[in-house]
Amino acid sequence: MSLTLKSIRETAARAFEAQGLPTTRDEDWKYTDLSRISALLGDQWWQVAENNEGEIADLSVPELDAYTLLFVNGHFDAEASELPDSITITSLARLIQDEPEKAVELIAYQADAPLSSGVVAANSALATDGACICVPNHVKLDKPLYILHVNSGGTTHLRTGISVGKHSEIQVIEHFAGDHDEAGLSNSVTAIRLDENSSCEHYRLQMEAAKQCHLGRVEVSQQRDSSYTLHATELGSMLSRVDVVNRLQEPGARTELNGLFVASGRQHIDHHTRIDHNAPHCVSRENYRSVLDGRSHGVFNGKIVVGKGAIKTDSAQSNANLLLSAHAEIDTKPELEIFNDDVKCAHGVTIGQLDKNQLFYLKTRGISGEEAKQMLTFAFADEILAKMSNQTVRRYIERAAFAKLPNITDLEGMLA
Amino acid sequence: MMIKIENLHASVDGKKILKGINLEIGTGEVHAIMGPNGSGKSTLSNIIAGRDGYEVTKGSITYKGKDLLAMTPEQRSWEGVFLAFQYPVEIPGVNNTYLLKAGVNAKRKHQGLQELDAIDFLKIVREKAKLVELDQSFLSRGVNEGFSGGEKKRNEIFQMAVLEPSLALLDETDSGLDIDALRIVANGVNHLRSKDRSVVMVTHYQRLLDYIKPDVVHVLMDGKILKSGGKGLALELEERGYDWVREEAAA
Repeated sequence: MSLTLKSIRETAARAFEAQGLPTTRDEDWKYTDLSRISALLGDQWWQVAENNEGEIADLSVPELDAYTLLFVNGHFDAEASELPDSITITSLARLIQDEPEKAVELIAYQADAPLSSGVVAANSALATDGACICVPNHVKLDKPLYILHVNSGGTTHLRTGISVGKHSEIQVIEHFAGDHDEAGLSNSVTAIRLDENSSCEHYRLQMEAAKQCHLGRVEVSQQRDSSYTLHATELGSMLSRVDVVNRLQEPGARTELNGLFVASGRQHIDHHTRIDHNAPHCVSRENYRSVLDGRSHGVFNGKIVVGKGAIKTDSAQSNANLLLSAHAEIDTKPELEIFNDDVKCAHGVTIGQLDKNQLFYLKTRGISGEEAKQMLTFAFADEILAKMSNQTVRRYIERAAFAKLPNITDLEGMLA
Repeated sequence: MMIKIENLHASVDGKKILKGINLEIGTGEVHAIMGPNGSGKSTLSNIIAGRDGYEVTKGSITYKGKDLLAMTPEQRSWEGVFLAFQYPVEIPGVNNTYLLKAGVNAKRKHQGLQELDAIDFLKIVREKAKLVELDQSFLSRGVNEGFSGGEKKRNEIFQMAVLEPSLALLDETDSGLDIDALRIVANGVNHLRSKDRSVVMVTHYQRLLDYIKPDVVHVLMDGKILKSGGKGLALELEERGYDWVREEAAA
């Protein structure tokens, strides 16, 4: 039986009704309590907000040279967007109206995915808009594709699909931003398919407003010799949970997941990543860091699964955490499941304060104790941001990240 | 007088390491402090530089007429104390030049001088890098990040050249260096000798003193300065070892 948009929506709605939101009894959600969402937004938290007509500030990355897709409160704003000619971009709303069979593909990108948790099921049932981006074979997009989601509170379900054709290359920047005092929820699912020898550098900038909750899922499926790089930065939101599922399906695929959390106050930030090595000779690199101040709470769970046939797998994972306050907390867990012998899998976790030897060294060079702490904090976080190839985005995130930390006095000097 | 150490007693984790050090170093003088491993040499340089974890139980250190022990490590640096580390610390992500610029300007601010701008500073840095034959590419790298042992030691002397201290402590600067690197490092230090600057070399090899000629050689053993003398003392130590010094002191 072929799926129709209607049947998918109904199945998803039933799954959502049956599952509801995950609870902390579920191992995968042990540290992240989603009951805060219904406490904040009420029993009908999943209901999409009425269109807010209020003025929305320009929260875009300044001086970014890119094609732009603007979504305001979950709705595509065609007039404010500038699209490239060489690739096909259609909003989900348009697809639902004109080409429902393509909308099916976007929502049911993986047989079980639409229903993998109550959160995703809600998204599959309710997503009304998003972008469907189709890069044909042999295209190198000349500028990054910048997908800006701004909201003014309330609930939105966003669905983005990116399919990159053979030998094609794209840089995508997903930016979630808000500047308001309203409660809300952004529920975003992004599915990325990389065909043979294609490459995608994916920036995911979470800079939601203080009372906005953020639930994200990134699904990446990679064919032979394709390359994927994620730069996930988590700065905003009171509660943010992102699941990254990366499947290396054919030999020679390579992925690199870089993550940085900078949290303060009572922010809660959780990333669960899973890399499936399903084919031989694939490479995965994962580097996550967090800088946690105040009473913030970070969670990192990095799972690597090396399947039976995936010989010559080369995988390395590292997670380093810097706690700036005695009340900040981190829960971190690497998980390796390896079903054959001929593999290389390295992993390491550190949790700590600033290094005493480094602090002393800086002070003997005349750097005051306070400034030395700032320098080391900056350096710790910036090692992750240095992996970004887009310098405009990097500088923007550096400024935003370090503005959150107390008393970074000479940021511009450090950036030089 | 640059620095005067009187009856200095210090312990680490309750263990007595220094047991009454007396030492005077005049302005412009170069002193060598020699001694076997575990004699307290590194403890002494760390206490002068202000590292945490050492408890001074008795005695005093007067530096340029001021109470050195009352100062934080950064204040000591602003006042002209410099420690070249035995094991220079790697600090990835902190740019070598940025660190030095911040250090120099903090010192200038402390002295009531105007801060240097980026261009003037770069000029100084380039010139000083030549002194220790340090490639320009090292300037923009993370502090000691991925440097070889010899490069790290050269970087220490380069930093010393930029910070222009009054009192430079070289803690085992010669250890782990091959002859060529040693010559470069020593050459750098010799260039920095001046009538206003005192240098203290802490070492257990006589070899370094072939390149940097000291005015005075001290033997530090069992937490005390047991003997002081001229350059000849170092040669005698090389030949005879240290035990005779202890016997002589006990006699």
